[in-house]
Amino acid sequence: MPPDHTSRREFLKQAGAGAIALAAGCKADATVTPSADEGQGRVVLGRDDALAAAGDLDKHVDLMTRMLCSAVQKLTGKTTAAEAWGSVFSPKDTVGIKVNCLGLPTSPAVVRAIVNCLLGAAIPAERIIIWDRFDVELAAAGYKLNRSKRGVRCFGTDASTYGSGYEREIESSGSIGSCFSRIVARECTALISASVLKDHNLAGISGALKNFFGAIHNPNKYHEHNCDPYVADVVAHRHIGPKLRLAVCDVTRGQYHAGPARHPAYAWKFGGLLVSRDAVAADRVGCDLLERERRAHNLASLAAEKRPAKHIMTAGTRGLGIADLERIEVVEL
Amino acid sequence: MHRPTTDDCGTGFSSRREFLGRTACAACAAGLLGRLAAAQQDVAGDTALPGPKIEGVIRHEAMYSEPLADKKVRCVLCPRRCEVANVERGYCGVRENQDGRYQTLVYGALCSANVDPIEKKPLFHYLPGTAAFSVATAGCNIECRFCQNWRISQFRPEQVPSTEVSPAQLVKLCRRQGSPTIAYTYSEPVVFYEYMYDSAQLARQAGVGSVAITNGYILPEPLRALCKVLTGIKVDLKAFTEKFYAETCNGRLAPVLTSLEEIRAAGLWLELVVLLVPTLNDSAEEIRQMSKWVVRQLGPDVPMHFTRFHSMYRITNLPSTPVATLERARKIAMECGVHYAYCGNVRGHPGENTYCPSCGEELIRRMGYHILANRVQDGHCPKCKATIRGVWSQDQALGHTPAPTSKATG
Repeated sequence: MPPDHTSRREFLKQAGAGAIALAAGCKADATVTPSADEGQGRVVLGRDDALAAAGDLDKHVDLMTRMLCSAVQKLTGKTTAAEAWGSVFSPKDTVGIKVNCLGLPTSPAVVRAIVNCLLGAAIPAERIIIWDRFDVELAAAGYKLNRSKRGVRCFGTDASTYGSGYEREIESSGSIGSCFSRIVARECTALISASVLKDHNLAGISGALKNFFGAIHNPNKYHEHNCDPYVADVVAHRHIGPKLRLAVCDVTRGQYHAGPARHPAYAWKFGGLLVSRDAVAADRVGCDLLERERRAHNLASLAAEKRPAKHIMTAGTRGLGIADLERIEVVEL
Repeated sequence: MHRPTTDDCGTGFSSRREFLGRTACAACAAGLLGRLAAAQQDVAGDTALPGPKIEGVIRHEAMYSEPLADKKVRCVLCPRRCEVANVERGYCGVRENQDGRYQTLVYGALCSANVDPIEKKPLFHYLPGTAAFSVATAGCNIECRFCQNWRISQFRPEQVPSTEVSPAQLVKLCRRQGSPTIAYTYSEPVVFYEYMYDSAQLARQAGVGSVAITNGYILPEPLRALCKVLTGIKVDLKAFTEKFYAETCNGRLAPVLTSLEEIRAAGLWLELVVLLVPTLNDSAEEIRQMSKWVVRQLGPDVPMHFTRFHSMYRITNLPSTPVATLERARKIAMECGVHYAYCGNVRGHPGENTYCPSCGEELIRRMGYHILANRVQDGHCPKCKATIRGVWSQDQALGHTPAPTSKATG
């Protein structure tokens, strides 16, 4: 991640400004027209053999930047990447990129590509926050912490003194009652769920929706009943749902079994990204991919293992997005 | 407004200034009426506890877990029996699976420490008028929507300022404060079982008693082991319906009843608290069923405290419990044969006092947490000589002398 006090210029240079310029000039696929409801039910799937084969994803940040730029063009129908990302995020936004560092983490290279796209859309670096629950987990996942006011910031909810990272009062949403991270409650005006597609021993899968369990102080209280309806309750909360503009699910490396802890035996080099403005649809497609991979390895379905990803259907029922595969349009890059 | 109630930790996420202010107010009020006020000191937080401030979490091997496939473990400490995947935590938020090894993150991680009157727990028949060195860590294995200590019980260890205090240091501190008893309280001691167990063992060797103030949500095997090192226990019997436990506490009633029977069988001194929440668990029929069960399964000498609810945490739409409801519950319990039924969180109410179940003589007069008069003589009524069940001396608490026996209590 960018070092402390990195200027935008320095950051672009480090991250591969060429990729940004290239991507910014990409023409959108003219055959794709965004739906009137801001991309509900549309998921873009980008995949590249180079990513699947890569030993070091850091060498492919440019490729993933182009992939993300193109994906958001397809989601928005805009001609250039800058226009596309600029139609989703404003320079006045403070954009929180919620990564998932528990077990198999969201790759820092993927997040670097997301940051490239945001910078390309003139989002000031200082208005971008990469965050998760704990500093220690971010650091262990390969993110460089930056709590300064300069450059792309990166820190956990626990970054300052204990307890101060959460709102003081409990807030309810459906059946949950939680104190929310001040990062989402006070700083971010827009959110990107930068999850990683992995099996989850209770929720079935961990993806764009489950990722926001990391925004509340008491996720341990909401793991029963396959985390349902709790995941949907969290995402429906005013600090999350209305701010959630984009889901980028890292499937460069996924895990199809024994998650969420990292388990190399079940690692899955898919080499792709799922991108959507509809986190529910992104998870539904992700779940389908994961189930296929499980079948390919002769593993039982999630439902057969008594951990169906019910939370995705519940989120769909709540109107947080489209959960019905028949109604989801998957656009492949 | 903060209303000090039974076993309110008075701390949690308060700023230190707020916390000290609260404690000072409570102490001032108490100072007018009670001799124990001087003994009440805030030793929480910054300087009084000897250990280092904890950065991150401390890890200690957890007791009561079973290995499962794929490095999962099953926690067999409490009735939830959480199946915990690698890198995940149980429902309590303080016990974590790291690579197939189950660990507690709160061993000696004290987030609250106060010298309280034992009556605040409340334990009314356990060394009345003495102080209890009261400690807690973060975490709880249920979630009561009326929890008054939710700022520590419903948070995870790294979210609550804590100080590391070893069992040996705890016992030393307790003795220095002149408290005959350590109380494991405020949050839920079941979730810091290992620390409580080790501390209670050491304390006993040092002539200090240990009482657990608990929801009783624990499996029989660890409970039986714990009963051997404790000297008293107070259990919150939240209600007498599974519905209430499920909807209001995210727990179950049946395991708590099993625990109460285990405690009774172990011979440990037991008192019960029932917080009456208007419309949810305060019906006359429910109190009657509960009281009958207590008399039948635990005996008539287990004190029952019916305490007053105040709007708290996730239940903010209900009024405080009317005093008349507490009085009615006390009356029903006594009609069912309970010898010692009390009204709680109503300062100065006659229902705070202990009366002889045989002759009706007033034996212990209380004002809130303070003893104004104690006329119990060696565990007996001075008037009719009936046995008054309880723990009346430290020797008795530690098992050095037997409990008062033989004389019928009517």
